[in-house]
Amino acid sequence: MNGPRLPRPKYRTVNEALVASATSRSGLTFVDLAEHETFVPYCEVHASARRTAGALRARGVGIADRVALVFPTSPGFLDAFFGVLLAGAVPVPLYPPVRLGRLAEYHVATAKMIAAVGARLVLTDAATRTLLGKAIESSRPPLGCVTLDDLGRGHAGELEIEPDPGALGLIQFSSGSTTDPRPVALSHDSLMAQLAALRALLPPETDAPQMGVSWLPLYHDMGLIGCLLQAVYYPAPLVLIPPELFLARPALWLRAIARHRATISVAPSFAYALCARRVRDEELTGADLSSWRLALCGAEPVSLDALDHFAQRFAPLGFDRRALCPVYGLAEASLAVTFTPGDREVRALRVDPVRLAATGEAVDGTRAIVSVGTPVPGTDVEVRDQDGGVLGERRVGRILVRGPSVMIGYFGQPEATARALAGGWLDTGDLGFVAGGELHVCGREKNVIVIRGADHLPQEFEECLAGVGAVRTGCAVALGFVPEGEDGEQLLVLAERAKGNGQADDETPTVDRIRRAILTHTGIRPHTVRLLAPGTIPRTSSGKLRRNEALRRFLAGELGPPARVGRLQILLEVIRSALAFARVRFGRGA
Amino acid sequence: MDDLRQEILTEIRRSLAADLKLPGPVELHYELASDLEVDSMGALVLAVALEDRFRVNLVGIEASSVVTVEDLVGVVERAVRAGRAVP
Repeated sequence: MNGPRLPRPKYRTVNEALVASATSRSGLTFVDLAEHETFVPYCEVHASARRTAGALRARGVGIADRVALVFPTSPGFLDAFFGVLLAGAVPVPLYPPVRLGRLAEYHVATAKMIAAVGARLVLTDAATRTLLGKAIESSRPPLGCVTLDDLGRGHAGELEIEPDPGALGLIQFSSGSTTDPRPVALSHDSLMAQLAALRALLPPETDAPQMGVSWLPLYHDMGLIGCLLQAVYYPAPLVLIPPELFLARPALWLRAIARHRATISVAPSFAYALCARRVRDEELTGADLSSWRLALCGAEPVSLDALDHFAQRFAPLGFDRRALCPVYGLAEASLAVTFTPGDREVRALRVDPVRLAATGEAVDGTRAIVSVGTPVPGTDVEVRDQDGGVLGERRVGRILVRGPSVMIGYFGQPEATARALAGGWLDTGDLGFVAGGELHVCGREKNVIVIRGADHLPQEFEECLAGVGAVRTGCAVALGFVPEGEDGEQLLVLAERAKGNGQADDETPTVDRIRRAILTHTGIRPHTVRLLAPGTIPRTSSGKLRRNEALRRFLAGELGPPARVGRLQILLEVIRSALAFARVRFGRGA
Repeated sequence: MDDLRQEILTEIRRSLAADLKLPGPVELHYELASDLEVDSMGALVLAVALEDRFRVNLVGIEASSVVTVEDLVGVVERAVRAGRAVP
């Protein structure tokens, strides 16, 4: 599948886009929990970034140096992000610590990310800095960790470098994967191609001026590139809500859309479900959502139920379900790969989940798989089989992407880059099929579980089970799946009983222990826990657990205990083989 | 229990029921994860509610130090008292 021709980007670099935005009267608005708003015009963002750039240079930050940024959604993020760019350096946004989070793990993950990009400096705010101590101690950035105030901006003069369009413009980490961080390196060229493609997909400003609202984190592709950088590129106003405030009060998002007559907003499936479930009617008294023309939905498997519930619930407030637009993308492609064509309702194909898992064929059935549309301008998509052959309609295979927005590679990781990129094609690790000329994403081959838009490695969950005595050591797999009737991807745990622990009449206590261990250690509640006989989970010849095959068998209903191999069975197998051999020899069958 | 601790417990009960839709009894000795099924998002929602109500900052609080409802009450109480001590 080939996307339409990519319009020529308006600018060559993010820096050029920022300079151009400063001539508009538009800007960014920050909203807090009490819905107080702070407006920062683009001209101020630009002027402040020039001062940050001057101070960074005075500190010793050079061209192409990486600077890690740890900020909540706040004006400070803008000063730091654009300041680093104007200094000719490369911003690397990292996630800040969360409330009541696991700080020890946070320090380890943050230190790994700082080290993975070889950050020369870590820039943060005063409140966050006090929490970064251990991460900084172990990663030792040469210029240390400083706050914007420490930089003494203004005293060192201003600076504005115009970088080469082919230079590195951003390193982003795919959301949440903490154990084995993959720094996605993007050039200014790639970012501009992505922004030009997105710009071409936005609805025309016939009725109302473009206006965006976002609560997505600014350290994530969708929040940073899709919302913030797109707003600067356009330039159009954007309202920003800190993600933790949205999670605590989902109504803040919808109220901001109504208050600002927003035309565009984007969120993962779970956010639409959260609003339908948690927003109270009285929180939206008098709110009008009719201005919302493009309600993008991506970053995790798109749930038809979640979107349906949302559309029904908020239709009385003027929400038009044709605004819903499922999309597909990934950090390695800058952001967007496919978009649903505008002005039509969400389309889903109902397929037989068992056949899909068992044979890789999308035949008619009951499970709804939402179309994520066609390639964005300039992008090509193919679905391929294991041998690299392009598959026809309704055949499940790996999704590959080619286009100007695809990453340069994983920063400093040539082997991982070579695995992901070959012949100009990016192997997404996701599984899908084409039907009616549109892409449908139905699973993934890479070992990642996406819960509420954040990536998790299966090991995070599997390691929690070490202390659960009734589970065979090292014989449990954690997997992501979308259960019937659920709003999004959920956690599935398949665990083998310890040997000698026969099937008990009541396995509830063991299942409860598994659930508690995972919830306590990771903060995530498993959806389904299944106890299995020893040897049920498929393994490679070297004994490694085959997670994807286990998931395929679970979904196909083929997850039975291993067959007992007795003498009689061996004899039967020999006879069967001999008969098959005879049939082939005598040409009566293949 | 003094007034502040009682107020904090009341806010925890309110947030669990209203924000997280987890109705049912909430006692000081209950464990947040095991007994109340509070996941990482639930903990974040509780924290934002408590920050808003008591004007404190819970960003630096380590999750593993907050196992029971009483632990959470203690953390917020200390933050409130520390804030009041600073002019």
